[in-house]
Amino acid sequence: MTKAQVLVVGAGLAGVGAAVELARAGQPVLVADRAPRAGGAIHRQPLPGRAAISSHAARWDRLIAEAQALPIDWAFETKFAGLDHTGTALLSGATNRLMRPAALVLALGAREAVRPRTGWTLPNVTTAGALQIELKTQGLAPQGRVLLAGNGPLLIAVAAQMTRLGNPPVAIVESAAPFAHPLHSLALPLSYLREAAGYMATLIRARVPILTRAEVVAIRAEGTALSVRVETPKGPRVFTVDRVGLHDGIRKNDGGVTACAAVPVLALGDCAEVLGARAALASGRAGGIALARALTNGTPRETVPSTTLVRERAAQQRLARIYAHDAMARLADLPGGTVICRCEGGTLDDLRALGPTPRVRELRLLGRFGMGPCQGRSCGEWVARASADDPGLPPPDTPLGRARWPLAPIAIADLIAATSDTGAAPLPSEGT
Amino acid sequence: MDDLGRYDAIVLGAGVIGASTAWHLVQAGLSVALVDAEGPAAAASGASDGAVSVASKKPGPLARLATASLLYTRNLAADGPLMHGYHPRPTYIFGSGPAEGAAIDALIAKLDALGDAVRLRRDGAADLLPGTGASVERLVELTGEGHMPGYVAVAGYLRDPRIVKIWPARVRGLEETDAGVIVDLGTRRLHASRVIAALGVSTTTLFPQMPVIPRAGQLFVTDRGAPGALPGALTSAAYLLAKTTDMTALPRPPVVIDPLSTGQYLIGSTREDHADPGRVDFATLQKLMTRAAETWPALRNRRVIRAFAGVRAAVSDGLPIVGLAPGSTRVTLATGFEGDGICLSAVIGREVARMAADEAPTPALSGDLAALAPTRFTALQEGAA
Amino acid sequence: MSGPVIYWRDRILAFTPGESVAHALTRAGIAAFGPGPVGVPRAVFCGIGQCQMCLVQIDGRTVEACLTLCRDGLRVGPEQEINHD
Ligand SMILES: Cc1cc2nc3c(=O)[nH]c(=O)nc-3n(C[C@H](O)[C@H](O)[C@H](O)COP(=O)(O)OP(=O)(O)OC[C@H]3O[C@@H](n4cnc5c(N)ncnc54)[C@H](O)[C@@H]3O)c2cc1C
Ligand code: FES
Repeated sequence: MTKAQVLVVGAGLAGVGAAVELARAGQPVLVADRAPRAGGAIHRQPLPGRAAISSHAARWDRLIAEAQALPIDWAFETKFAGLDHTGTALLSGATNRLMRPAALVLALGAREAVRPRTGWTLPNVTTAGALQIELKTQGLAPQGRVLLAGNGPLLIAVAAQMTRLGNPPVAIVESAAPFAHPLHSLALPLSYLREAAGYMATLIRARVPILTRAEVVAIRAEGTALSVRVETPKGPRVFTVDRVGLHDGIRKNDGGVTACAAVPVLALGDCAEVLGARAALASGRAGGIALARALTNGTPRETVPSTTLVRERAAQQRLARIYAHDAMARLADLPGGTVICRCEGGTLDDLRALGPTPRVRELRLLGRFGMGPCQGRSCGEWVARASADDPGLPPPDTPLGRARWPLAPIAIADLIAATSDTGAAPLPSEGT
Repeated sequence: MDDLGRYDAIVLGAGVIGASTAWHLVQAGLSVALVDAEGPAAAASGASDGAVSVASKKPGPLARLATASLLYTRNLAADGPLMHGYHPRPTYIFGSGPAEGAAIDALIAKLDALGDAVRLRRDGAADLLPGTGASVERLVELTGEGHMPGYVAVAGYLRDPRIVKIWPARVRGLEETDAGVIVDLGTRRLHASRVIAALGVSTTTLFPQMPVIPRAGQLFVTDRGAPGALPGALTSAAYLLAKTTDMTALPRPPVVIDPLSTGQYLIGSTREDHADPGRVDFATLQKLMTRAAETWPALRNRRVIRAFAGVRAAVSDGLPIVGLAPGSTRVTLATGFEGDGICLSAVIGREVARMAADEAPTPALSGDLAALAPTRFTALQEGAA
Repeated sequence: MSGPVIYWRDRILAFTPGESVAHALTRAGIAAFGPGPVGVPRAVFCGIGQCQMCLVQIDGRTVEACLTLCRDGLRVGPEQEINHD
């Protein structure tokens, strides 16, 4: 029997970093990603022949060269549906396979959070991350008048990248007041400051307005354009734009996968803790080394104390302080018809109809929150915050119950076509 | 310990059986508290399909009670608590191969004997229902049955404001005295002259002598599409076999394809002897979906978005447990409905409420209800001793 | 049109090899991918296959436009329209 593969889900820095270390240690590795190419969020690769945008291209080029020199199997355009209690994983899409991996590495990357706002479900309103992906794959700035809004350093990065490609955004609307904390900012690692200074210089040169302590309160469709109402400390403003990119921070994202007796599970990179690119690569490599050692020697996996992780954690905490704001409270003021759960169309009114402290079962069965394809992975935070006394407090980890497989919908035709190398037992005791 | 109150009756367990019982008790003018460890429909009733089906019942008491419950459910749906819960629709039973064919013949004979609540409308092959796959050799259409999601039924019964709802509150113990029953909730106590325990698979925590066994079933839900493509449930004859025989290996996977009002499909189910709702596996999903998509090929274009397992409360002899707890004059058990509780809930709630009010059961059902008495197990134990 | 194309309803759209259906539609000015089943319009939101908002029909199957690559001759339509078979 050939040795079982380690399944690495996610071909970003953490996943490829782990795959490289595992393969180097002689472990057979399969890397699966739903995207068509490796790269993940930060190193999303351009279409063939287009220019790469990513600011640390050399880091990625080195890593991918390492990976290509090692015997690693790749499965792109392939979704990981989850790991069941028997230790079977399901891959579907371009590769359709039921497999029993020797171990599972989750390197799914972070999830972008977008707080519900009036009009946030309109076409041409996307996450800022979606705009950035478009920009990175196309090698071109998204066209038309673009407004970026929400909270966090990503807005500045996307704005600067758009500007450099010739289409600066109309404005950045930021919930916090990041420039009001010069002391915190100076305590950031030099690499952060250098990158931020570069972005800011670009934006200042292009005179991109950055409105701070400001909020998009409503987006309306006006013909083919979008009319965006913004509240600022100096009063309301209205922007007419073609596209809006929203972003309210980044969340970890392990999909609710739990270990089972048969298969060790290791979450690495942003999906385990949002610490950014450097930490993701460090965590991927360290995790890969530790896992390979555990698989070879049967020694327990020890967590390697990494200076990179410690440093990045401190930096992220500073960033969080710089970007702190109290705009979560606005959830409570949204009109009742605002959609909270995009999958099932559940509104704030639907949520309120369940009474003051709805239980998980009621939220799910009667409110249908968490019953759509995302199973509450996206809306859970907003459901929890909107029904909490203080929407500003961090919500519980699983407000809509433990997320279960599938992590992503499974096409039935793919499932039926899936080969199985699990030697799966027949249906347990059926008919008894 | 706080004394929280006195009620004529306290119902333990806010599943579909407990909710129906509580509703029937308040209709009779009793003061009623309904207690649950978690909340409404927290166990089997919130993790089941909702076929209100006579076809799938074992011949005998279960089939007759199911028939009565179906008729009564229609009444409660006309202008009562199940108004938004119950939807009539046809049932299609399909089969391939001799074993499933024979099961369909047996079904037709059983329905004949039960009167005309459920009728055989057509008996033929795949072409009887456009869209059915060519692997289907035999297909029959039944009319008279329907669908009722358990949690919707529970919500319907609980809409009656006279039911005092107490949750989350886990019952630690019961103490029966000459004056009544004390229900111990840990931090507080309730008093009632009668208690009804409708605790599903948790029955054994308070009544360890009852042979209630967990039997899990996996269910899978697809994404939404245009509703109405499939007018009723498509049930494999193997599913009937799974419910009525002790076969360990069925001829084909026992699949049920249930169209939901949302335009989704719910596909089930297995019968597994354990109590772990976390055991949902890809091999089973693949096996059930393969047969489901052979039967209803439109499924090939759908996606599975949710997978879960419910845990049914089964009983060693295959019959539910309904009646006074052995040795008690005040505590009534209503449990062990395995895969049939949604269907039976209307009539069981009514009859248990009558028992608790010291009324005689509905005459036509008294014999079948007597067959469900918990004392059948104590008699057995004494006999064996 | 000489290069490879996809079809969106009655429109013919050129694409760059390796491009996602979502990006080809976006570049052609098509942002609204039709009504969803519960009233939330279908359109790109997350761009990475997570939010399930960009669903379209291809060959009778529901797929994420943002994860599906263009192939020459692909017929793409709104999620809800193709079910009337
Ligand atoms: C996969 C599956 C499919 C099914 N399909 C169908 C179908 O198509 N048609 C049909 O008719 N039936 C079906 N059933 C069966 C049906 O769901 C059950 O028979 C029915 O829901 C049982 O209801 P119940 O009220 O007895 O138990 P439950 O719904 O299990 O309720 C028991 C309640 O007791 C509470 N509880 C437990 N312990 C305590 C304690 N110590 N203190 C307080 N509260 C406590 C629990 O929280 C729970 O709310 C199916 C079941 C499953 C699992
Ligand atoms: S845009 Fe979110 S899944 Fe495609």
